[in-house]
Amino acid sequence: MSRDVLVIGGGIAGIQSSLDLAEMGFQVHLVESLPSIGGKMAQLDKTFPTNDCAI
Amino acid sequence: MLDVGRHPNISLLAYSEVEKVRGQAGDFQVQIRKKARYVDESRCTGCGACTEKCPTVVPDAFNEGLGQRKAIYSWFAQGIPSTHTIDTEHCRVFAGKKCGACAKACQAEAIDFDQQDQLLDLEVGAIIVAVGYDVFDPSRIPEYRYKDLENVVTSMEFERLLSASGPTGGHLDRPSDRAVMDRIQELEKTVKKSRRAVDNFEKKFARSSEDFYAAYQPGDQDQESQKWAQAYEKWLKEKNELEELQEKAKGFSVAKKLAFIQCVGSRDIRFYPFCSGYCCMHSIKEAIIAHEHEPETESTIFGMDIRAVGKGFEEYKVRGGNTSKITYKRTRVAEIDKGRDNNPVVVYEDTQHRQIRREPFDLVILATACAPSRANPALAETLGIEINEFGFFRTDEANPLDTSKQGIFVCGCSHSPMDIPESVAQASSAATRAVQVITRHFGPQAKGLRKAS
Repeated sequence: MSRDVLVIGGGIAGIQSSLDLAEMGFQVHLVESLPSIGGKMAQLDKTFPTNDCAI
Repeated sequence: MLDVGRHPNISLLAYSEVEKVRGQAGDFQVQIRKKARYVDESRCTGCGACTEKCPTVVPDAFNEGLGQRKAIYSWFAQGIPSTHTIDTEHCRVFAGKKCGACAKACQAEAIDFDQQDQLLDLEVGAIIVAVGYDVFDPSRIPEYRYKDLENVVTSMEFERLLSASGPTGGHLDRPSDRAVMDRIQELEKTVKKSRRAVDNFEKKFARSSEDFYAAYQPGDQDQESQKWAQAYEKWLKEKNELEELQEKAKGFSVAKKLAFIQCVGSRDIRFYPFCSGYCCMHSIKEAIIAHEHEPETESTIFGMDIRAVGKGFEEYKVRGGNTSKITYKRTRVAEIDKGRDNNPVVVYEDTQHRQIRREPFDLVILATACAPSRANPALAETLGIEINEFGFFRTDEANPLDTSKQGIFVCGCSHSPMDIPESVAQASSAATRAVQVITRHFGPQAKGLRKAS
């Protein structure tokens, strides 16, 4: 039995899930296969519809 | 991203894979393989001194192969964690050669060529799968000649060309022009080198190469003369190529006439019948940003229809047409042909005028489909969950984030194609579903929770 949560994937979805859970007080293990988190969104220059920076 | 690295309740396991999963909701035993980076995470400060000294240059996957990185690298400049990683496939040390330049440059003494993979055992109550998607490989569509024509790129490659931190610093240099510029740089070096060889002969024989070569007979048996003649010919050939390319490069300018082709791989029964959802807006955004960079830029978006479904999306589309020189053409592009000056020619039927047209562009951008990750089947087997007919994770109709196994949830593009706002909303939903599983086992108070800062 464990209260921890495993999140697989460190893209925008995995990051959002992890932060939500962590803010609720749960311990999160975030696993990412690449050397850094960020996923596809980190590769984007700007995002629609507000043209904000992705990173 | 920074918040994830700093949050006391998040343990970040980057460069790691899930090996084994056992148990059930509320009580999973998970084994994680932390892959060896050959750099000590606790010591590396991410300063980058190692990458400066590393002699091995390889294409940079973060920049979709448009830029270059070294064999020791950080995934991208602002990456979290900033710990560098050695790419064993290209590193000279792992090829059995003498090197270790990075280890000498590293003041933190973080380089460890003997590092091993580590296996970690975790116990968790719930699992969220958020592994994302793969960019569809457009070379599977032969009529778009993606690999064949240099100036046909994917929307992700175009994104890197637009980025101020990308390989072109945000200038829309065409890949064919960049190849010429690279060749010029390479030639400048070799011309200098071969000129030096010619100079040595001139000094040795106190005679100009032009005089010598004019009098030289190819049948001449004198070895020195033969070598001199060869060196002179080599230099002349390289110099001529360099001058020719330099002349050509004078005519280069950034790409100003852009074509965006929609539904590349999606809404296509040969590949994925589904609509990838975000590509219409993605192309409009890229066209607007390109116009912001260079106000002369004109874009044409070729699509069966523009699906601008979302808050503020239709307005964004109209604004693009009104202020960013975007034309929307209702068509399905049949073929991309090779034109003059490496300009791709888009062949399509103008459905409004019922005419077949051929239009040249500086650059063609393919709005590639959101393909299910190639790693999904293996991960599904590890987790004991199912995938659907396309390769995304199968979910419950009534509870759209629940997989076929209790306690395992899925969100983002590993669920189905979706844009960023939808991914974020789903991710929060998945987090809540995970909490429900845990509180079911520990009671509504879920005692023992750690307060976030």
